[in-house]
Amino acid sequence: MLGFVARRLGLMVLTLAGLVVITFLVSNVAPADPAMLAAGPDATPDMVATIRHEYGLDRPLPVQFLRYVAGLAQGRLGRSVVTGHAVTEDLAIFLPATLELVLLGMALAVGFGMPLGMWAAVRRDRAVDHLARVFAVSGMALPEFWIGLLLLLVFSGWLGWLPIGGQLSVADAPPAPITGMVLVDALLRGQFVLFGAALRHAILPAVVISLPALASVVRINRAEMIEVLQSDYITAARAHGVAPARIVSVLALKNAMLPTLAMIGLRFGWMLGSSVLVETVFDWPGIGLYAVNSAASADFKPVMGTTLVIGVLFMLANLLVDIAYGWLDPRVREAGE
Amino acid sequence: MRRRDFLIAGSAAAAGLHTQPADAFVREGKRKILVFSGGQPVPLLDPHVKYDYSTRMMQQSIYDALTKYIDNPASIVPWLAKSWETSADGPTWTFHLVENAKFHNGDPVDAEAVRFSFERGLKLNKGVAWMLKDYLDPAGIKVVDPHTVAFTLKSVFAGFLSFMPWWFIVNPKEVMAHAENGDYGQKYLTDHAAGSGPFKIRRWDPQAVMDLAAVPDYWKGWPEGDAKRPAGIIYQVIREPAPRKSALLRGEVDMVTDMTPQDYDQLGKTPGIKVSSNPGMTPFTLMMNTRHGPTADLNFRKALAWAIDYKAFLQVENGAAKLMDSPFPNAMAGHIAVPDMPHRDLAKARAYLAKTKWPKGGIGIDYVYVAGLEVERQIGLAVLSSLQPLDIKVNIVGMPWPTLVARGTNPETGPAMIAVYVTPVSTDPSVVAAQYTSSAAGSYWGMHHLADPELDKMVEAARVEPDQKQRMAAYAEIQKRIVADQPAIFGMMEDRRWAMRDDVRGFVFCPVRLTGEVDFYPMWVAGK
Repeated sequence: MLGFVARRLGLMVLTLAGLVVITFLVSNVAPADPAMLAAGPDATPDMVATIRHEYGLDRPLPVQFLRYVAGLAQGRLGRSVVTGHAVTEDLAIFLPATLELVLLGMALAVGFGMPLGMWAAVRRDRAVDHLARVFAVSGMALPEFWIGLLLLLVFSGWLGWLPIGGQLSVADAPPAPITGMVLVDALLRGQFVLFGAALRHAILPAVVISLPALASVVRINRAEMIEVLQSDYITAARAHGVAPARIVSVLALKNAMLPTLAMIGLRFGWMLGSSVLVETVFDWPGIGLYAVNSAASADFKPVMGTTLVIGVLFMLANLLVDIAYGWLDPRVREAGE
Repeated sequence: MRRRDFLIAGSAAAAGLHTQPADAFVREGKRKILVFSGGQPVPLLDPHVKYDYSTRMMQQSIYDALTKYIDNPASIVPWLAKSWETSADGPTWTFHLVENAKFHNGDPVDAEAVRFSFERGLKLNKGVAWMLKDYLDPAGIKVVDPHTVAFTLKSVFAGFLSFMPWWFIVNPKEVMAHAENGDYGQKYLTDHAAGSGPFKIRRWDPQAVMDLAAVPDYWKGWPEGDAKRPAGIIYQVIREPAPRKSALLRGEVDMVTDMTPQDYDQLGKTPGIKVSSNPGMTPFTLMMNTRHGPTADLNFRKALAWAIDYKAFLQVENGAAKLMDSPFPNAMAGHIAVPDMPHRDLAKARAYLAKTKWPKGGIGIDYVYVAGLEVERQIGLAVLSSLQPLDIKVNIVGMPWPTLVARGTNPETGPAMIAVYVTPVSTDPSVVAAQYTSSAAGSYWGMHHLADPELDKMVEAARVEPDQKQRMAAYAEIQKRIVADQPAIFGMMEDRRWAMRDDVRGFVFCPVRLTGEVDFYPMWVAGK
């Protein structure tokens, strides 16, 4: 198992190196001048040059790259040309909000997706199954920004049931940070009314960010359950009179959830990527919104930093899934070793 | 957690989850807080490093300047400076400061603070520096006495006073106490303040909320007395216009900007909401590349200018705009209605086109606009339709802002036409005139790349002309010259509009502010 994990970690380092090179190259071939945009529309050429020099943007690209990599080795992700802030510090402020949203979304996806997939499999070709399949296709196909705006219009604009956006209303001060996640901190601080208010704000963005993952979980879990429910050992269990509920929720589910588990790891990364759109629609102050604001002014270091952080989290999630997969399925573990 | 605690927690959370109508107003005790929403965040607060409408709105609330623009038409009134005078020969300006002004930490606002602030702005060479750096060196700023400061310019510059409201005064002791590695306190002033203004920071989340508390004992007092003074103001960032409109309709915010013309019209008809519509000072022009491509030919540019259906621009704005009759906005000193300003005249357009390499048209040009700006896209459609009779095809291209600027500032890659808004920061005509000189080429407002040596000479001569009457006469000629060069299609000036609840009081429009910017100092919320 240790060799398996070590090999995965080695691959992670290689992938990360590739990600660094690609993000750096993409940022520098983009036809935009960060110094010019940071200086503002009225700036004179020498003012632009001042900013370019201050941030080392006047140095040759290979030098900029080496300085960037040297900074990465020391845990630094550069500075924002717009604010002068260290990207690492900014990400530390904004990442908890994104993690909170993604974890909520994942909880919704797994919590609703797996039972729905199982139900659809058990009721194959009946109304529930058809509805689940329509939902699965729609959840994958409909763009999140569109769904987000639609839900905002209906539940916030027309019905007035849920807030417009943000993590809290402007009248509410956030809880003193412990984890940086407003929901968790409100609970830990015992501010339960604030927790309720924060939960209301989180409902729509969490639902929207969960939809593609929820749809995937339903689809895969349904397909796997159908296959497993037709296997010999399930037939044998039925013949031995094992209760149908136990067959579905214990005997079949354990084998059916292996591919779902792999997909959850994959979807975690997708959700982090989706945060860019969802956070923009809902004004959710996470790293997605941070990246969008930075990209709008060609402030590339924050965009690169955000990309790297999402990449690392994506890889870590997949590593955890691989480990869990190997732990659940000895064949995988043995193949890895 | 004990069972009882768990039940209390559950009930409280359920109470929070329960949908309630929004409170009538955000309050702190008995006082109300004015909540304003726009689509643009406030990434940093340093008044010498950056300004745009949302940033400056916060800066003006937190800091004071020597003078301030107020009212419509705009006038400059004393603020930290109670009076000023110029030397007989012109280049020295002496400002006398009020004696009771103090920073939020209690330090007095004195002449040294003024000297330091201008020195800081000039040395950082960012943000506001462009306004004065050609005329003023740090060595030219002298503290005469604790309440008198003198600026000796490198040359006479009649527009000097018009830029004073943009230079905010920071507390030197507080700034330098937090300076790091010779950064003049830049890192500190990104998210802290060292000002003397009517508000101070209570909470700042640069992506979402700026929460400012009123300073009860503000040195200048409160315009409506302490009784009506708000507890504070909140600037809430809501990026999309639709949710922003919903927030206003639900009473979650008191005032909004950055809406579409259709939204404003709809909000104006909604009970309990009023729309303030004011003549704008932000020219919307279609800059043309005068160096490269077909628009390098003056006759081609003239053909385009005379073919455009300008009335369609007003239709896009639902009538909430005014067509330009000069390259200068109407509120600018020295503005004249330029004779023979292009309007739609297809015969004239064809006559100009006949003098080009494309006498019968049959050519395509790019119209580039900022992707996502619906008004600019619709103007593109109006341009496309206008040029069809000349058989000139228009390719409408939406681009992200950074890409548009990168492409437009390079004459080799600059498109034939770029949709551009430029807000002048002063009523002095030198600001707009400079946008058409050859030294502006390569900057955002010089994406036309015009190089007219005669115009350059005229602009420079007008800038240093001490006699105001002759100066204005010179700017009249400059306006005619710019139109003759036709580096842009001079479109319109959108009305500046804000939608607000009926109970919002004290709003005063002033054209010399950035689009969407509001001065919160005289404002308060009435109602119960």
